Amino acid sequence: MREIERFRLSTRFLHWTVAASALLLALTGILLWVPAWGAAAVGGWSRLLHRIAAVIFMAAPLLYALFNWRLSLSFVKEAFTWGKEDMGWFQAAPDYYFGGDESKMPPQDHINTGQKLYQLVSILCSAAFFLTGLLMWFFRELLPIEVFRWAVIVHDIAFILGGSMVLLHIYLGAIHPRMTESLRSMVTGKASVEYVKSHHRKWFERVIRATEGESPQGPDSKAA
Amino acid sequence: MAEKAMLLDPTRCTACRGCVVACKAWNEREAEKTTNRGSYENPPGLSPNTWTTVRFAEKEGPNGVPRWLFTVYRCMHCTDAGCVKACPTGALYHHELGFVGIQRDRCIGCGYCVSACPFGVPQVGGVPFAGVKEKVYKCHFCQDRVTNGLEPACAKTCPSGAIRFGDREALLNEARARVEKLRARYPGARVYGDRELKGLHMVYVLDDAPKVYGLPENPQIPVASTLWQDLLQPLGYVAVGVTAVGLLLNYLVARARTIRERERR
Repeated sequence: MREIERFRLSTRFLHWTVAASALLLALTGILLWVPAWGAAAVGGWSRLLHRIAAVIFMAAPLLYALFNWRLSLSFVKEAFTWGKEDMGWFQAAPDYYFGGDESKMPPQDHINTGQKLYQLVSILCSAAFFLTGLLMWFFRELLPIEVFRWAVIVHDIAFILGGSMVLLHIYLGAIHPRMTESLRSMVTGKASVEYVKSHHRKWFERVIRATEGESPQGPDSKAA
Repeated sequence: MAEKAMLLDPTRCTACRGCVVACKAWNEREAEKTTNRGSYENPPGLSPNTWTTVRFAEKEGPNGVPRWLFTVYRCMHCTDAGCVKACPTGALYHHELGFVGIQRDRCIGCGYCVSACPFGVPQVGGVPFAGVKEKVYKCHFCQDRVTNGLEPACAKTCPSGAIRFGDREALLNEARARVEKLRARYPGARVYGDRELKGLHMVYVLDDAPKVYGLPENPQIPVASTLWQDLLQPLGYVAVGVTAVGLLLNYLVARARTIRERERR
């Protein structure tokens, strides 16, 4: 089975670092969300863990960006670039994800429109988490208390929005019957040519063109 | 058990600050070094080590006569307490005697109560940033004394009768009688704390509008503090619920289709 590189090692490492810290952040944060679980936070251990995880959650992508700034920039740019083609995905998505009807689905790039939406939401939510988290951590006593009040609200909204999207992300990446190689590609970095052809045709054709029939190289390494 | 309260009467207060000292002494709070800010008011406000203060206000009275007003200020022990609502760990709670108690070993220093208090009372102290040892401090109504048949340290020490401790109902009647008397000289005299936030357990006798004494006219729990419980929390459950149901539905439909496709092949 011929394979094609979807994600380079550093990208995968970043993904799982962020995923692990996000999980820890969610678990320690939700204790303050559900009234009945608040008692579990007594002692402050969850608060400390939340802060450690927050530092990892924020430092990991920033460090990554330092060493892969070109790729990181295109990652952000990608999330904010929306066109007519994306509408095609939205129209075809119900038939595609429920019924498996691929006929109406326009060819997708390295990430599809849904993944791009997730990318956009996660960037926005991370920024919101980062800013409001900093406010709550360091600036409660320095700024008017109203700022803290609204920071908590924004933090919570980011959790509702981002948390729901993460559930969707995990489902589509690891559970949905048709996304057979999504999880594998984020673990091993590779996906079969057959899978990539049907799920990311636009990207596949670009990579083929760029490498002109040589063994196709990864996405992150478009230049390679 | 009958609800307890304290009656605070600024018209009787001489600003001796015996209550501040008694509070610190009983609760073993350290004194704080302060600087002269051009006012006799000192210490300048509540802090993790100062749970009760006396506020000084200079106002112009009728006929240009200056008035020097003294107000004992600390936790109001609201019946509808924003801090108790906001506290995620149950460290802040309503005691059966009516006051808002604090169980500091349950406190994680999150500061939600600070943002939920319309009176700016709770104070976070401890090691900042690390966050583990941060705790919230405020007047606890001398719970250790009150539940053992003693009156709070401030009321015990007050020499002028400006702080009185007793059953809330009796004190309210006393406050109303006092206001009647004061009205002869101060037409704006009123009781404060009888209805505010469904009843405070600090009942003030004021000879003027609350704002003259630096008290909020109509104290409310900040909208943003209740928005979380009234709106965001249910919204969060709905969001998670709808997502989960939607995904399950999608899984069942999509799997059925793939199985059918496989069989057809």
